[in-house]
Amino acid sequence: MLENYDVIVIGTGAGGGMAIKTLCEAGLKVCALNAGRQVDPRKDFRQHRMPYDLKFRGFDSPARRAISIGYMDNEYVAPDAWEHEIAYSMAPGTRWTWPRSNLVGGKTNFWGRSSARMADIDFKAASRDGFDVDWPVSYVDIAPYYTRVEEMIGVASTVQNRPSNPDGTYLPPIRFRCIDYILESGAKKSGIPYLPDRIAQLTQPHQGHPPCHYCGNCTEGCDVGAFFSSPYFLLPLAHATGNLDLRTNAIAREILVDTDGRAKGVAYVNRLTRQEVEVYGKAVVVAASCISTAQIMLNSRSRQWPNGIANSSGQLGRNLCDHMYGTTAYGYLPQLLGQPSFPDNVSAATVAWLPRWQNLDNPRQEKFLRGYSFYPGGGCEQFPGYYDDIEGFGAGYRAEIKRRYPTPVSLTLQAPSQRSDKNFVDIDPTKKDVFGTPQVRLHFEWDENTLKMWEHARQVSEELFRNMGAVYQGHGDPESPGWSLHETGTCRMGNDARHFVTNKFGQTHDVPNLYACDASVMLNCTDKTTTLSVLAFSLRTSEYIVNQFKTGGHRSV
Amino acid sequence: MAGQGPSRRELLQALSLASAASAFPGFSRWCFAFGKANAQPPAYRPQFFSASQYQTVEVLADLILPTTQDAAGKRQPGAREAGVAEFIDFMVFSDETLQEPFRDGLQWLDHAGRADFVRLSAGEQHAILERLAYKARHRADEKKGQLFFHLIRKYSVMGFYTTRIGLESLDYPGLTFYATSPGCTHHGNPEHVGKL
Repeated sequence: MLENYDVIVIGTGAGGGMAIKTLCEAGLKVCALNAGRQVDPRKDFRQHRMPYDLKFRGFDSPARRAISIGYMDNEYVAPDAWEHEIAYSMAPGTRWTWPRSNLVGGKTNFWGRSSARMADIDFKAASRDGFDVDWPVSYVDIAPYYTRVEEMIGVASTVQNRPSNPDGTYLPPIRFRCIDYILESGAKKSGIPYLPDRIAQLTQPHQGHPPCHYCGNCTEGCDVGAFFSSPYFLLPLAHATGNLDLRTNAIAREILVDTDGRAKGVAYVNRLTRQEVEVYGKAVVVAASCISTAQIMLNSRSRQWPNGIANSSGQLGRNLCDHMYGTTAYGYLPQLLGQPSFPDNVSAATVAWLPRWQNLDNPRQEKFLRGYSFYPGGGCEQFPGYYDDIEGFGAGYRAEIKRRYPTPVSLTLQAPSQRSDKNFVDIDPTKKDVFGTPQVRLHFEWDENTLKMWEHARQVSEELFRNMGAVYQGHGDPESPGWSLHETGTCRMGNDARHFVTNKFGQTHDVPNLYACDASVMLNCTDKTTTLSVLAFSLRTSEYIVNQFKTGGHRSV
Repeated sequence: MAGQGPSRRELLQALSLASAASAFPGFSRWCFAFGKANAQPPAYRPQFFSASQYQTVEVLADLILPTTQDAAGKRQPGAREAGVAEFIDFMVFSDETLQEPFRDGLQWLDHAGRADFVRLSAGEQHAILERLAYKARHRADEKKGQLFFHLIRKYSVMGFYTTRIGLESLDYPGLTFYATSPGCTHHGNPEHVGKL
């Protein structure tokens, strides 16, 4: 296959999907490479199954359990929805959990949907507290893209006037449940905010997509497309232009360069035939998600780029950040004991959140820098997971399980790690995966600032439990890094080519026709989730690329 | 797929189809109990347990989660009708790591009383389980039995609250079509103890 395209896009998730749509709609010929197969929501997602419709009732076969990477890699989702073939390495001491979905659309098929805008308190954080460097963009640069993305995907929330959380254009919020009002009253006593989350879940018909029908189980995939995912919201629009050639099971291995060191195409391995294929384009967009993006670029070694393409700064793969997740408090609400069951899991628990309230007026107010946020959980889940808290057996045991059903409550911390020289990815010097590609190797440990946030959050959670009259039963441990799926960095954007891989448009400093359109360009992961910002930054970069084609920066085929 | 969202009717069909799709071997009992009133489930043949072990598992599961009456006086069927023993047999059959703990545990139980567990009187069976279930009644030399009780209670709960019988007994409100988000209906009640 020797074909020429305007742009080769690696990845079809939030970043890649947005790039593909934008470039195709502008009339450019796009070849999209996706490492896995096409997604078929009606077959791959079983979120409308009751546990008794599954052979192992949702507890998974021992064989599935042995290979599951956790998260939503379970009986409700097709086994190959999650990546199990492409191996990776971890440096001694690193315990990275890496749920990768290489289905078309990637992790947008299963994401948590929380969609807050980042703000200048994030972009200009270094100017406020002196740590690390500012982003090369301001909120005013990105705000119009946030607005357009919100209009495209539909985000339900309310106007909240929070200093760290700029308001956007919102659909009506999902209504508070009993537990939300109880949590809200406790938060009020604690002096911390409790508000409707910004959630990309449709509360009314939007852009031709049906509204949510609140069945629950959203993160196991939505087979009606009532929340944003690339296969429902972006790729059909790209296909409709006739400009898209989507190649599935195409695992990008290397970006090819011409004699000047500019990108000329991509070499990929066909997952099924194991054959290597080359495609050529005038520009290349890498949107394979942070770590894979770095792997592909580091593996693109040539005479011109001996240390990986666009890596003259030596920063490619560096500055990996992630959100620390973990249950900082769990227990139950005695005021709900014996209450009727209520559909609490209607939206899989991100009805509300506790957005950052720390270090707002004074950036050095707390013992840690920056800030974190919480997501609450609880109420009637399907399975009574608290059964082991109750002693005994018999009729009394059954009655107690029923009495406790509406009462569980917990808080999940979302705390950003900060840039550290210790946290990065490189290429394993000895190991190759089954496709013959040198494996990516992860180096990561939680920094002291994040651990201080954990301690702080634990105390705040315990106090909040007291203030809402909950019985506090304990806390979990921080999850291993990677669990949040919010990794950022590896191709950070900045104005100085000596210290940053990409410029403020996501274009690599070294190779003007090579772009990154995923969270790899972000300086850190802030207290917000990444997907909305990936979409906004990708839209901005994609329009910049279109403009390059219009003004002669890149020549169209 | 954009612009081709399913209708409400199609969604409702999808919901009801999913729940009717149960056809896994061995899980017959509770399906029949609710699906077709007059149909007789075929006798279940254990895949892992011997006939006597299986009988013990059935008795244990039903002691842990018996048929009861709820506060409104409504009969709530228990583990036996929900086919919990079938589920446990299937899970132990499928998972080698469970086989020894179950085999040893059942053997321990048969030696805990004056006769095999299923031959004991209801009172004697209860007395043994109470020693295993409540920390205050634990005996130092019965660690093995306590661990086994914990294990079989866990699998009984897993097997029971994943059946229609079990979920209906909790009034599980999910996997339903709600036309709008079903929020709290008694906001403002200071203690949130009003009637829904």
